[in-house]
Amino acid sequence: MNGKLTPSRLALFSLVLGLLMIAALFAGCTQSSTTTATPAETAVPTAAATMVATPVATVATAAPTTVATTATPAPTFTPSRTNIVAFTAASLTGASPTIASSFNAAYPPDTVSFDLDGTQALKTQIENGAYADVLISASNSYTNTLNKEGYLVPSSVKTLTTNYVTVILPSSNPANIQSLSDLAKPGVKIAMAANTVPVGTATTAVLNNLANDTYGPAWENATVGNVVTYETSEPAVATKVSLGEVDAGFVYQSTANAAPSGTYQSITIPKKDNYLQTYTIAILNQSQNKAVSQWFEQYMLSSAGQNILAQYGFTAP
Amino acid sequence: MIPHSLRPKNYRQSLTYLAAGILIAGVTLYLALPIVALFLRIPPDLFFSTLHNPNVISALWLSLFTTAITMVVVILVGTPFAYFHSRYTYPGKVVVDTLIDLPLVLPPAVAGVALLVLWGRAGLIGKYFNMLGISIAFTTLAVIMAQIFVASPFYLRQAKSLFEQLDPAYEQTARTLGASSMRILALVTLPMTAGGLVSGAVMTFGRALGEFGATIMFAGNLPGVTQTMPLAVYVGMEGDLSVGLTISILLVIISFAIMIIVRLIQKREAGHA
Repeated sequence: MNGKLTPSRLALFSLVLGLLMIAALFAGCTQSSTTTATPAETAVPTAAATMVATPVATVATAAPTTVATTATPAPTFTPSRTNIVAFTAASLTGASPTIASSFNAAYPPDTVSFDLDGTQALKTQIENGAYADVLISASNSYTNTLNKEGYLVPSSVKTLTTNYVTVILPSSNPANIQSLSDLAKPGVKIAMAANTVPVGTATTAVLNNLANDTYGPAWENATVGNVVTYETSEPAVATKVSLGEVDAGFVYQSTANAAPSGTYQSITIPKKDNYLQTYTIAILNQSQNKAVSQWFEQYMLSSAGQNILAQYGFTAP
Repeated sequence: MIPHSLRPKNYRQSLTYLAAGILIAGVTLYLALPIVALFLRIPPDLFFSTLHNPNVISALWLSLFTTAITMVVVILVGTPFAYFHSRYTYPGKVVVDTLIDLPLVLPPAVAGVALLVLWGRAGLIGKYFNMLGISIAFTTLAVIMAQIFVASPFYLRQAKSLFEQLDPAYEQTARTLGASSMRILALVTLPMTAGGLVSGAVMTFGRALGEFGATIMFAGNLPGVTQTMPLAVYVGMEGDLSVGLTISILLVIISFAIMIIVRLIQKREAGHA
């Protein structure tokens, strides 16, 4: 009998499996939080909840193994490490590891992890129930929409940084592009971001401005006609250029500035025709770690955070 | 006396029925509910008005055009390839067998990057084409090449195993009766494997129609040129949700149509046998 698969055992097994599947179906609908550790795990939840201590104080009581500095009994709660999720515009991809490590250094033991994608994708994900604590958006209009829809804490919406649009070319410059007017030459291959991507919107505005001020509508039509791909994020445009698969790409100034020298050549777009993209940072209403999220926002707006952004080519607002 | 319905044997049987019923219902719902949700999310009038969106129309035609070419190429090249591959032994046959299966396990995004660094303008072979003024990446040709790379294994595997399993006695008999090799292939081998070949081709069609990762990497995303339906769904989801939903529904309808056609063909085959 033991170990043998009798019909009744099989039936029982199938029954359990079937119920589990149905349970999973419903569980999938309600589960949204990605955080695992909560302060409530420990004995005195009120102490943990009201803890607004400075980061330094948090350190002193962080690990149970730490030898207490005073003779008083060990604290009744152990602050757990909080990880916040920051939905972040893909153009911050380069800066994100530095931000993560320096935030952790400034506010141990808390950490931040980044979900990097085009802001339009992040917006769709938030609207469809994705969990995030903080949003760093490369688009004012998407931030405003999300704010109007009630996803953001209105008072937390702050301007973070700014960025101009620029043209990058592969370092070998295969199409011999010397000026913006060369972008309209027949056969030039251009990559830009899709219109839903913030940098794509900005690129379209820049092309319009350039056409109106200097180069004329024929230039604009020919340039747009040379576009061979509409990428879904800003770094994807940069990749197509660095691979040498296109002759030019419209990206943010930060990408051109932060790339190792020799990666790209770039053609600057005059300030009067350029489009200043404003990045915003905001805390989401659904955040279960508002205190840490607030620290993160403060950190990003502080000179330390702004220095990192400057180092990666962003322009202070 | 134990009542009839509670006797261990009956009890076990009804438990089995109950379990089977829950399992079948669970699996069916799990697979069907997402499709139902798609249809419920968009009002019919919005669906029909979005159908006139130029991006939807161009994505639809581009997808149908490229997958049709993919099918023709895979069938025309794949059928004789699978036939010779199954009929002859040659050095490295095991390697070829493995390579045929490779695209099935390779993530499509990897396939796209690989195609780009081979055929792209700066790629291994692509740079020579570039010297001749021929560009492959970011063209409709690249869409077809990505689809063939990712989807052909479904047909090749099916054709290969059909030819391997076909009893050689039929072909030998035809040969003893004086039929030429071509005549045997056309009148004996292919008709006897036709049902299986069609279902292999349909799997290839379905996979090619759904191709996303390799296409966006290798062919880019340009409406009317390389933006196939799955790419338009992706872009639509980030912008105009109704475009994403409309194309998704179109793809569901096409997928169902394909499956119904296959069922009908298989039924007819079974009827003849």
